[in-house]
Amino acid sequence: MLNIFSVRKDSTTESEKAAALPAKDETMRIEGLDISYGSNHAVKGVKMSIKPKSVTAFIGPSGCGKSTLLRALNRMNDEIDGCRTDGVVSWKGVNILDPKVDPVALRSKVGMVFQKPNPFPKSIYENVAYGPRIHGITDKAQLDKIVESSLRNAALWDEVKDRLEESAMGLSGGQQQRMCIARALAVEPEVILMDEPCSALDPIATAKIEDLINELKKDYTVIIVTHNMQQAARVSDYTGFMYLGELIEFGETEQIFQKPKEKLTENYITGRFG
Amino acid sequence: MTEKFHEELSELKKQVEDMGELAKEMLETSIKALKEQDVMLAKSIIAKCETIRILDHTIEEETLKLITLHQPMASDMRLVATMLKMITYITRIGRYGNDIAKIAIDLSEEAHIGKLVSLPQMSAIVCSMIDDALLAFETQDISHIADFKEREDTIDAMRYSIYREGISYMMENPKYITRCTQYILIARYLERCGDHACKMAEKIHYMVTGEHKEIDYKSCCSPNQDTF
Repeated sequence: MLNIFSVRKDSTTESEKAAALPAKDETMRIEGLDISYGSNHAVKGVKMSIKPKSVTAFIGPSGCGKSTLLRALNRMNDEIDGCRTDGVVSWKGVNILDPKVDPVALRSKVGMVFQKPNPFPKSIYENVAYGPRIHGITDKAQLDKIVESSLRNAALWDEVKDRLEESAMGLSGGQQQRMCIARALAVEPEVILMDEPCSALDPIATAKIEDLINELKKDYTVIIVTHNMQQAARVSDYTGFMYLGELIEFGETEQIFQKPKEKLTENYITGRFG
Repeated sequence: MTEKFHEELSELKKQVEDMGELAKEMLETSIKALKEQDVMLAKSIIAKCETIRILDHTIEEETLKLITLHQPMASDMRLVATMLKMITYITRIGRYGNDIAKIAIDLSEEAHIGKLVSLPQMSAIVCSMIDDALLAFETQDISHIADFKEREDTIDAMRYSIYREGISYMMENPKYITRCTQYILIARYLERCGDHACKMAEKIHYMVTGEHKEIDYKSCCSPNQDTF
């Protein structure tokens, strides 16, 4: 188990108090989350809880703050100059926004898959083995096992098992994206963040990723940002609709797409704006 | 694209309203033809049956096309689902109008038994339900369908009364059997049309509120369902 949280027991801070252990039916709890890029207030007072082993989708028009919100969940916004994050993202009893939390270790437990597949210019095997190696696993047999199970879990093993040493750059777009998911799985995350994972893929590759998401939720908590409302409706259990930085409505996907409570959500999903 | 979708959706909704009007007119006119023993009027109804069939077919096709091309959501999805169900109920109402018109022709050669008051009265209530269902559909105002259970109960009672009356006439004089059987059949058709109006009302309630509710039919038991 990686030591993500370097929080000492004798030094309980206000931030730690705020991040009391989430309830049993939630894996992450977000409270009063505000994110700004300079003077641009991108996420405003978001409060929600994420259910474990489920798929949660964030939808909303461009610039509504959904990707910013997603990136806050594994501190990817730390890499953006001028980005300020306030509030609490409670996970395992710790506010992961606390500066004492090691973001690199956090990201191994809260993995991320990006819009465009980003394979390293290495072999398929090395791409998947990269994370475990960084975390100190050097034993070849153990790495082989991790690579195989990760590729199997990403529904890619059968397609690449005979060419693991070939460059990952030679895979199709859909295969590259599934390999990126395998790479994220190789470090044994608990939560997987996906930022529009299918927007660069054709319909067949998209269908494979959607099937994969459905499989992944048996073992992982998946949080996905998508522009494609039909995709959100197909793959997610819970959906949050964001608009101008605010979380307008959050609920079960079926309810959001059949009978939204907020007029703004209704107007967005029926295409009356956005 | 979204604007085009909403234009097409509005156009389809208008077609469903027109189709409903046509079916109601067929039913209303068939009873008029029956009462007045007007064969020409009855024949004009039978000619309209094909129009109802074509409308059912084309609206269904257009609606399925909209689903395929635009994958409607929320209130749009509920409207589309409601239209698909409504055209079936409307088609059946139109067909009952057609069936009554055929009976009207058969019964046109001899005088009615009595003044034939109950069937037109029953028809007036059924037609008012169809009117109100269509109005609720058009305006999205479910207050028009709020008393459907009471009206449905009245129709049931009228059907039973006509049945009893018909049986009495038949027992009195066997030569009335054919004619009275047809009256009883028409009462049954009208009652079914009332049921279809109720089913439309249930779907319209869902379309407007997103909640499924069943009209609490006396003859039907659904203990766990929300009812009107």
